[in-house]
Amino acid sequence: MVNYLVVLFAITLIYFASAERLINYIRLIGLQGILLCGIAIFELKEINTANLIFIASESLIFKAILIPYLLTRIIKRSGVTKVHRLAIPAFYTIIFSIIALLISVGLAYSLINSFVNTIYMAIALYTLFTGLLLIVTHKLIISHLIGFLIVENAVFLFSLSIGNEMPMLINIGILLDIFVGVLILGFFGLRLKPHTNELTMLKD
Amino acid sequence: MLGFVLIFIAAFFFPGLILRTKSIFSGRKGPGIFQPVKDIVLLLRKGSVFSKTTGFIFQIAPVINLSAILCAILVIPFANQKAIISFEGDFVFFSYLLALGKFFAIIAALDAGSSFEGMGASREAFFSMLVEPAFFILLATFAMFTGYTSFSGIFSHFFITGNHYVLIYSIIGFYLLVQIAMIENSRVPVDDPKTHLELTMIHEVMILDNSGFDKALIHIGSYLKFAIYGALLYNVIVPAGWNIWLQIVLFLTVQVAFAIIVGLIESFRARNKMNLNPKFILVISAIAWLAFIIILILTDKLI
Repeated sequence: MVNYLVVLFAITLIYFASAERLINYIRLIGLQGILLCGIAIFELKEINTANLIFIASESLIFKAILIPYLLTRIIKRSGVTKVHRLAIPAFYTIIFSIIALLISVGLAYSLINSFVNTIYMAIALYTLFTGLLLIVTHKLIISHLIGFLIVENAVFLFSLSIGNEMPMLINIGILLDIFVGVLILGFFGLRLKPHTNELTMLKD
Repeated sequence: MLGFVLIFIAAFFFPGLILRTKSIFSGRKGPGIFQPVKDIVLLLRKGSVFSKTTGFIFQIAPVINLSAILCAILVIPFANQKAIISFEGDFVFFSYLLALGKFFAIIAALDAGSSFEGMGASREAFFSMLVEPAFFILLATFAMFTGYTSFSGIFSHFFITGNHYVLIYSIIGFYLLVQIAMIENSRVPVDDPKTHLELTMIHEVMILDNSGFDKALIHIGSYLKFAIYGALLYNVIVPAGWNIWLQIVLFLTVQVAFAIIVGLIESFRARNKMNLNPKFILVISAIAWLAFIIILILTDKLI
């Protein structure tokens, strides 16, 4: 069962490379949150129940509901619906995404050992690369934020791949989640003035 | 042999079902299920008119296209019966037979000497080139999964490998084959057969100069192609070992469902902008790659 969820998670990453509307990015982020919650429930069988409930509820509430909700509000208020500014055409982004997949599988196999689940490792590395690719190829700051959220999902998957041995690592990852939620809320959710197109101006 | 006949029966109803679905969902009375067949009978009775600029390629291309598609049907198995022709690596043969038909359609379009047709031919060649990796990687995934390299071997062992991840491949295979069928047959979202502007056409603009008998052959070929992909879809989702009568009923059900899916997609989805098509097709190839890599990991064949 858990492998089905991991495959679905990887397919969402391919759509990240090709999507152009910000609302699609947000839907995909929400879907990834739900999938990560499912993966955590199925995978972490050896840690204690209270910790598992905390992890599952956190990933459901923060990753799947709160952060997508905040991002949707930001997009509605700012009126920025599309990623107008890509550094390279989306066609090449997908090719880079495929290359990233190959590299991550190669890396995962070079790091193989009995404590780490290889498929998690490969998909986590792929998630990391996809997030970095999004940050590098897009010019809007909101895309960078979404890229950061994907990198964070990668950290969560990494911690799950060794989660049964080191439950503390997952908790640290979750604290990062909450930090990003507060960051989004503080930076954009409250200070952004509606219809001023600030998101298009906030370029690096 | 049964599969061959069933694919013909399915192709007979397929275009009419798409038309009916589209007319029901757009609130029109619309033509009957047999209208496309009646149109073809009408076209078959007519003679062909050839432009003075065309050579013999233009005249033989529709026949070669249809015969390539007919030969391609021969390698598709049905239920536990072997296909009429079956050998190791026959999916490569299948794919390149379809490509041969398409190649002749393309050079016939170029032969007509019209710039519109040349443009359509260029687009068709480009999109076919992009979708080819998706099809091959998908079939390679199936071959890796079952350990066989012929259609008959792959599909008769698809559900009895004992690997419990078969559902992943069944679902991904179904999704990818529907998309590949839409692209190969030049339907929405890549191309719209009902479009009336030559600049936005792909397949339809290539056959603008064909008339009468030749046009009928081209249409028959495209209906048969739909039924071929429907047969592949059926093989991916229904285990080959079931009772033969049940299989026949299920085959026709899958074909009808596929036709309705095509009709629904065409009713509710807009055609892509032309410059978004390469990206759309490449995403399908990327998903096929992902499926291939995951099968390698799950079956421990990577090292």
